[in-house]
Amino acid sequence: MSGVNFFGIRHLSPAGAFYLRKFLDEVRPQTVLIEAPSDFEDTSADIVRAETKPPFAILAYTTHAPVRTILYPFAEYSPEYQAILWCKKNGAEFRFMDLPSEVFLALYEKKLTEESCDGESAAPDQNAGEERKLSVYDKLDILSGEDSHDTFWERTLEHCADEKAYREGTNLFGEKIREFSEKTESDLEEITLREAHMRGCIRETVGNGVPPEKIVVVTGAYHVEGLKSWESAEKSPKMPSTDCAHTLMPYSYYRLSTRSGYGAGNRAPAYYELIWESFKRGDISYTANAYLSKIAEAHRSGGNAASSAQIIEAVRLAESLAAMRGGTSPVLRDLRDAAETCIGEGSFAAISVAAADTEIGTKIGALPEGVSRTGIQDDFYRQLKELKLEKYRTVTAQDLRLDLRENLRVNGGKSAFLDLNRSFFLHKLRVLGISFAQLLESNQENATWSEGWVICWTPESEIQLVEAALTGDTVELAASFTIKESVERAANMSDVAGAVEDAFMCGMPTAASYAVSALQAMAVDAASFEELAKTAFRLSSIVTYGDIRKADSAPLIPILQQIYYRACLILTGSCVCDDNASHAISDAMNRLNSVELAQDFLETESWLGALAETARRDDLNTRLSGFAAAILLERGKMTNDELKTEVSRRLSKGVPADLGAGWFEGLTLKNRYGLIARLSLWESLDEYIKSLDDEEFKRALVFLRRAFADFSSAEKDSIAENLGEIWGLNGAEVSEAVNAVLDTASQEQIAGLDDFDFDI
Amino acid sequence: MEQEILRQPAEKLFEEELNALIKAESDPVPQGWRMSPRSVKTYICGGKVGKTVITPKYIGHERLVEIAIATLVTDRALLLIGEPGTAKSWLSEHLAAAINGNSGRVIQGTAGTTEEQIRYSWNYAMLIANGPSEEAMLKSPVFTAMETGTLARVEEISRCASEVQDTLISLLSEKRISVPELSIEVPAKKGFSIIATANTRDKGVNEMSAALKRRFNIVVLPAPETLEEEMDIVKTRVAQLSSGLDLNAALPKDAVIEKICTIFRELRQGETLDKKQKVKAPGGVLSSAEAISLLCNSMALSGSFGNGEISDEDIAAGLQGAIVKDDDKDSVAWKEYLENIMKKRGSAWSGLYKACRELNQ
Repeated sequence: MSGVNFFGIRHLSPAGAFYLRKFLDEVRPQTVLIEAPSDFEDTSADIVRAETKPPFAILAYTTHAPVRTILYPFAEYSPEYQAILWCKKNGAEFRFMDLPSEVFLALYEKKLTEESCDGESAAPDQNAGEERKLSVYDKLDILSGEDSHDTFWERTLEHCADEKAYREGTNLFGEKIREFSEKTESDLEEITLREAHMRGCIRETVGNGVPPEKIVVVTGAYHVEGLKSWESAEKSPKMPSTDCAHTLMPYSYYRLSTRSGYGAGNRAPAYYELIWESFKRGDISYTANAYLSKIAEAHRSGGNAASSAQIIEAVRLAESLAAMRGGTSPVLRDLRDAAETCIGEGSFAAISVAAADTEIGTKIGALPEGVSRTGIQDDFYRQLKELKLEKYRTVTAQDLRLDLRENLRVNGGKSAFLDLNRSFFLHKLRVLGISFAQLLESNQENATWSEGWVICWTPESEIQLVEAALTGDTVELAASFTIKESVERAANMSDVAGAVEDAFMCGMPTAASYAVSALQAMAVDAASFEELAKTAFRLSSIVTYGDIRKADSAPLIPILQQIYYRACLILTGSCVCDDNASHAISDAMNRLNSVELAQDFLETESWLGALAETARRDDLNTRLSGFAAAILLERGKMTNDELKTEVSRRLSKGVPADLGAGWFEGLTLKNRYGLIARLSLWESLDEYIKSLDDEEFKRALVFLRRAFADFSSAEKDSIAENLGEIWGLNGAEVSEAVNAVLDTASQEQIAGLDDFDFDI
Repeated sequence: MEQEILRQPAEKLFEEELNALIKAESDPVPQGWRMSPRSVKTYICGGKVGKTVITPKYIGHERLVEIAIATLVTDRALLLIGEPGTAKSWLSEHLAAAINGNSGRVIQGTAGTTEEQIRYSWNYAMLIANGPSEEAMLKSPVFTAMETGTLARVEEISRCASEVQDTLISLLSEKRISVPELSIEVPAKKGFSIIATANTRDKGVNEMSAALKRRFNIVVLPAPETLEEEMDIVKTRVAQLSSGLDLNAALPKDAVIEKICTIFRELRQGETLDKKQKVKAPGGVLSSAEAISLLCNSMALSGSFGNGEISDEDIAAGLQGAIVKDDDKDSVAWKEYLENIMKKRGSAWSGLYKACRELNQ
């Protein structure tokens, strides 16, 4: 034999981590070679620091777009992590021996381009593809009757009671998998390259004078066979390469559990930590007991009952389930099924929350201050200091109220606008999706110079920050990249307007002008009235409040004018729609009206003209015609007489009742007090109702009832007063009748209208 | 003699398979059991022992069967819950047959079941003549199971009155039955357990108390997951049933089974199999068990009055009875289904559609 010691592992395997440490204690190697990208070695000094708390991850990413990443997560029970810790404690040397990450990323990029080329030719061959997809692992699962490869592995190897069995077991497993999958693995090329590189590493280490028997190679079980032939010299193959960088980042169990797949993730990190704990305690049964007790505890804290007797029964059931498979220790699947049967009374839904808590957990890793920061982290902390925000970097949430106006009590540029700059910074973080600061909804409508934030620092924010590194090296660059991306992805105009708004909020003129020109290009294309109104509304608010943010909103004015004018032109055409669609349009009309009122550079006549035409025409949706009339009334562009004529025209006897009532409903959507005060309106309505026969009345009743449904009782009172005046009655009496709760007889009568057929 | 019995118990019907499994046993056998838990699973889910092919008795959800068997290994009582027709009693019978070779220790729960039927009662003539004595005692199936260390079955436990159900609470936790009249206590032997079945949907059931539920491991049996699985179940059971019934008719073709299962599944789930269309669901429970009896019925119809081949008319008659129970709404739902879904399914379905329509005119 070669003398080099191989230890086959599975990434994120507690048993592997535990027995590897034991093995290292026995062999006492001089050098440990670990399967991890060789260029990650510079992070190792930080990995072993006492302040570093797993889970953490090493992220490698290309420095050019599109950004591709690879991620190497480590948990406390990662064999690689434990090997590194052992080396540090025992003064042994360790090296990372896998391909450097630039090669991995280059291979990955190559594969993606190949796949996109293959895409079309492969399509008709789908059946063959499905057959190929059944990998050797899937077949193994079918044979063993397990639900997943994780279960198979856990049942066979994760609860091994002694080191030798584990080592031999994994090596045999790797050897056999290799044998059965030879030449069928889709990433065969990558595997060949990696193993050649790793063999080279072993040769180099031996060449440096380390005796082979003093070397331990820690690698995935699959590679053990491939590395045994390290002695025979070979030419190192040509490697592709790409520009990339890497960083250490804190990680969380939750994230670990959402990435599935060998090596990259682990579906139940908190559960695996229990297994790790059970090894450390030397108590094999700890895992099952702890898991089920924790489930019961979580179940109880959710307000449900879970007795100790149930836990005991669940442990026993899990053990006998394991025994049926010939195992001694229950695996996660057995435990979960037992918990479902005994604690959840046969339904998994009952314990699903408890199971998620127990299996996944909420643990989040931590790195010491200042450890391998990415450019964006550096920038973030620098700005935090500059903007005097450092004291907010705590886990307790704090309020921050910003006054965006110039502070006249201090002299000089920067500090006078401290709060404004803070706002820019926090808005950039918001755009990047970093949950450090949350913007509070402002309830003072006119206080545009004030802004409220809740700031709270969580490790999750750090993770999000590192991820933002993929989009740029500083907060500003990343934010502008994100805004550009959202402009490119935007499906409609108001999304682009949203991006423009974001850019203004962040105080980024360049990004803003980019988004504005995109908006310009889009505004030429057709868009619906709602879309135009929404966009105009957003732009208008930027124009109004732009000054306070020291932003130059002038370039927006021509676009706003263009969009506004277009909206006016297509209003009438958009009003041909059914009642369901009319709600969106009436909202949009309202918005556009407020835009027109707010900006004096917009030409009022086109809007009023469009409204007048909409109000006048009979062939549009009557609800919208009514609403247009309401706006005109509110703006004083319709006189009492005009209204009266319009009411009697719309509500005359020949007009179908639903149309008339729909119009009336539209009219009452706005400016109710103004309407209530106009006695003439109620007179016309009264005349209309009097003119109806019984059948027509039933019809109109349904619609009128709807029109008045959301009037408050005070409003109904006022209407009652009006009607009282018209009918010569006492206002209070009428009000009582109008506001009274329906008696059974009338309720029945109204229920009878449910089946009323409007089509006849 | 045997020919005259309408339905043989499971242990008789599958005697050969059971014997083969016992003979080939290689795993440890729990006390009071006839075979190892693994063999029990093979008996129920199917497989092969030596040359004997073991037919699957319960199709789908093997994991649930594993949980049920593992429960009985731990001496815990087992409660099978599910909608009507999800093979609860069927599974319970076969579990008892495989584990004890006797599925006959059964209490068939009704609203009239009394506490005595669960514990013990007396031969009153002897009781009055001689006073209480062991000879005068009439032991219930549960009592006998405790004495012999075997399984007792309680069918339809939720139909019994709540106070009668609760008799089981102390029996199950203390594993002994006391006879105060004789001042004795009979402890249960190893191997004793209870398999109970309960219905979740039928009318006229009594909610089980939490205390009783806690003493059971509960396994919920679902309706078959896929169309293929349900077809498999229906096919197997129809073949088994009809061989005992001399129906003089050919077994239904796959296409027929597929149609029936499709109709049942769609009406049960309230949407078409491709999930594109909503369907009004009738009030009754359309279980696989009903599909099986419907097909057997159709076979009987065709055997007695037709040419021995199941025709669309035979099925239509069966469907009408199975789907339209007592409610007018059922009939509306069925007519809607006929017009909106079945009519548009093309020529393969047109025969059945016409036959069903005729019955609904």
